[in-house]
Amino acid sequence: MKELIEAIAKALVDNPDQVQVRPVEGEQVTVLELRVHPSDLGKVIGKQGRTARSIRTILGAAGMKLKRRFTLEILE
Amino acid sequence: MEGQPPPTPARSVESYLGAIEALVKQLARTGGFELGVTMRKAATPGEEIETPEFVVDFSGPDADLLLEKNASLLNALEYVVLKAVRLEEDLFGKITFDCNDWRCLRAEELKLMAQVAAERVVETGDSFALSPMSPRERRIIHLALRDQAGVRTVSEGAGSERKVVIHPASPPARKR
Repeated sequence: MKELIEAIAKALVDNPDQVQVRPVEGEQVTVLELRVHPSDLGKVIGKQGRTARSIRTILGAAGMKLKRRFTLEILE
Repeated sequence: MEGQPPPTPARSVESYLGAIEALVKQLARTGGFELGVTMRKAATPGEEIETPEFVVDFSGPDADLLLEKNASLLNALEYVVLKAVRLEEDLFGKITFDCNDWRCLRAEELKLMAQVAAERVVETGDSFALSPMSPRERRIIHLALRDQAGVRTVSEGAGSERKVVIHPASPPARKR
């Protein structure tokens, strides 16, 4: 799942080498913390959060296949 | 990554297809989605409402997952992938992601919904708000009711809450 978020984020940003994804495993849920270069924040969030919402939808669907809940946190 | 290519003006839509296919396949693999993808030319260019030139057509065991909740996964993949390949946003309509003819079926459903709602507005003289929709879906509603007598349509609200409201064309005649 980390690989999926990395692939999406690297494709969206201008500085793919600055993309970091850290999974934090909880009991019920895995939080994926995404860090990007500060100038790329807008690229992963998008207008009115539309890009971030789309990434979360993809993540949620992939999680359903694994029967596990994943959430995405975009860190500033 | 160093050495960004210089911006090339007026790239054809077709030139994005290779990058789109590669990214879609990468996301299907890393996301564990069992989906095949076929890139094809749109069958009916010049169809009245939606005029995509190319279709990114999905099939496979996860087609149902793709189309759940009004195709939220299909739409999310489309948006992220088209953004990622840097397609200019006013060209997003030229490349559409589809699966089992969902776009066409959904357009039919929306037109029917528009018709029923418009009839109700004409009957009651009250405005009627449809549920929030994407720009593409709102456009289908606006176009479906463009020549409908007795109503006018307006998009209201912001962001993901934006919806079409159908109003009576003129102030309702007072009943006595």
